[in-house]
Amino acid sequence: MSVALALLGVLIAGGAWFALLTVVMAASRTPPVRPGPATGALGPESPAIVDLVTGGWELCDEAASATLLDLAARRVIGIEEIGPELSLVRLGRGDPPALAPYEKLVLDHVRTLATADGVVATGALAEGARNLGSWWKSFTKAVIAEARAAGLSRPRWSAAQRTLLLGAAVVPAAVVGIAAAVWLTKPDDGPIGPFAGGAVLAFAGLSALVGKLDRERGTQAGADAAGRWLGVREHLAGARFAEAPAASVTIWGRPLAYAAALGLAGRAVAGLPVSTPADDSRAWSDRGGMWHVVHVDYRGPGPWGRFFWGRSPLHTVGRLALAAIPSWGFAFLLGILARALLDSPFPPEAVGFVGLVLVVAVPLVNLLLDAAGRSTVEGQVVRLRTKVRKQNDSSTTYDHYVGLDTGAARGVHAVGTDETRWNSLTEGDVVRATISGRIGWLHEVEILTPSRMRPTGPAAAPTPD
Amino acid sequence: MTTVLIVIVLLVVIVVVAGALAVVVYNRLVTSRNAVDNAWSQIDVQLRRRHELIPNLVETVKGYAAHERQTLDSVTAARAAAVSATGPAEQAAAENQLTGALRSLFAVAEAYPQLQAGRNFSELQAELGETENRIAYSRQYYNDAVLTYNNACQTVPTNIVAGIAGFRTRDYFTAPDAERGPVQVRF
Repeated sequence: MSVALALLGVLIAGGAWFALLTVVMAASRTPPVRPGPATGALGPESPAIVDLVTGGWELCDEAASATLLDLAARRVIGIEEIGPELSLVRLGRGDPPALAPYEKLVLDHVRTLATADGVVATGALAEGARNLGSWWKSFTKAVIAEARAAGLSRPRWSAAQRTLLLGAAVVPAAVVGIAAAVWLTKPDDGPIGPFAGGAVLAFAGLSALVGKLDRERGTQAGADAAGRWLGVREHLAGARFAEAPAASVTIWGRPLAYAAALGLAGRAVAGLPVSTPADDSRAWSDRGGMWHVVHVDYRGPGPWGRFFWGRSPLHTVGRLALAAIPSWGFAFLLGILARALLDSPFPPEAVGFVGLVLVVAVPLVNLLLDAAGRSTVEGQVVRLRTKVRKQNDSSTTYDHYVGLDTGAARGVHAVGTDETRWNSLTEGDVVRATISGRIGWLHEVEILTPSRMRPTGPAAAPTPD
Repeated sequence: MTTVLIVIVLLVVIVVVAGALAVVVYNRLVTSRNAVDNAWSQIDVQLRRRHELIPNLVETVKGYAAHERQTLDSVTAARAAAVSATGPAEQAAAENQLTGALRSLFAVAEAYPQLQAGRNFSELQAELGETENRIAYSRQYYNDAVLTYNNACQTVPTNIVAGIAGFRTRDYFTAPDAERGPVQVRF
């Protein structure tokens, strides 16, 4: 058999399979969604379900915030505005009513963050040691499970469709195997190896494609519900919820939660960052019992802080040595130029020395002062971050930073530490740390009070950025 | 002639730049002052809520412990003083006194198990606890706003505009000693 014939076979078999896939996809489309008339009548679906069915059966980020707003509207929690930049989520008194699993996930997140008074600043909802990816996956899974149970959603492929597609994929995979055997078999070898390799690879690729396309799709009931909710959306669009803060849920009630799910309440959603990663440089801390913002800078103070901060004393010495040569050389060149062009009376060596002192003196003094005496501080870990220091094809080296809120100021400089110590910490831990405060290096750390946000299972492992 | 013209142009430029900077600084000061006023109004709302709760609380306690007149009267008097207080410093002093009186009242209430078991009392206690917590957050918010404003009034170069335009530093709303440090409001 010639290679050309084998390739023709691959094209025909592959084309036939893709034609079958197209037919099955067309047969398994979501029924068309026809927007209903504008109405203010809210249906039985929760905001998260509404987000799913009106978002093309894909959950959007608003779903978690809309769920929290719904819990507030149902008085499971309270949202209170203290000022334009500070609102609080307050856990309700007594036991909460029966909640859907995804509502419970949101409430549990709030509970994990809540202080002894049962309060979380709304901005602090992005905090916590959860793995956001896993959390979102669990949330999505729970919402989809409820939507399926309500008959609004189903997997794209039925068992028969999946079996048909995978069964039919055997044919093009076998043809690819034959083509591989024809093309790649050497005179001394048998054709089994190339055939098996080609066939398995082709089948794996087609199976992966079938799996990738297996997303949620709406049922007829789901499409009807989506149409009804699009009618509600039209009605709510006239209510101008876009600028309503989250705390206004006490006035608007559930319509605000549904407006959030329908993408109409941008400010309220932005104010409740339940499914948003925490900001690197703006941390919320409850050090002292009350939530407040702490600005975290990963550089040291002053112009030298950019280059000589967050590294071990030995590493700092190395950087000083590295900085000394070019700074002296640059200033020396300036001295030569100044003498040649401006008839400067200063010898280039002296100018070079001044340049060297300007760059190196302050960090050197800091290093010596820190070597003479380290300081001990107590504070709460508000940020644990890594920054790429070096990257090549085979490996990446990170700098590890710890932001500590000591309660003394609303801005902190994150200090560097080694990976082992960094790994032993969790955001929210109250620690006593021995640091070199002038070069920003953490030598020793003792956890005084473990964070209540500490991960309890593999799904909640901390994720460095 | 040319030199005079250059000097005049330079002076005009300097005056225009200085004027523009003064306007920017003035606007910033006004914004900061408004933020302080806004933060104070938030405290005021929570304090009013607190003042409204106290008569109900006193009546509830009176139902079980009418002979604790001295404690009840001290709460009523402290509330009256807090209601009539004006300005952050005076208000803070009056509110701190009221907090002390309320602590005494709750200490007295502990001697009356029936009162403690009463739903009305426990709800009032919880409501008052939440209000105290809101006051603590409002106070933190207000004091942060005052810090920003006072820094603007006292640091160079904004203090020059603040002095000319009559911006005065504001008082902090100070917490009672017991509430400094880790805050957990419990009665």
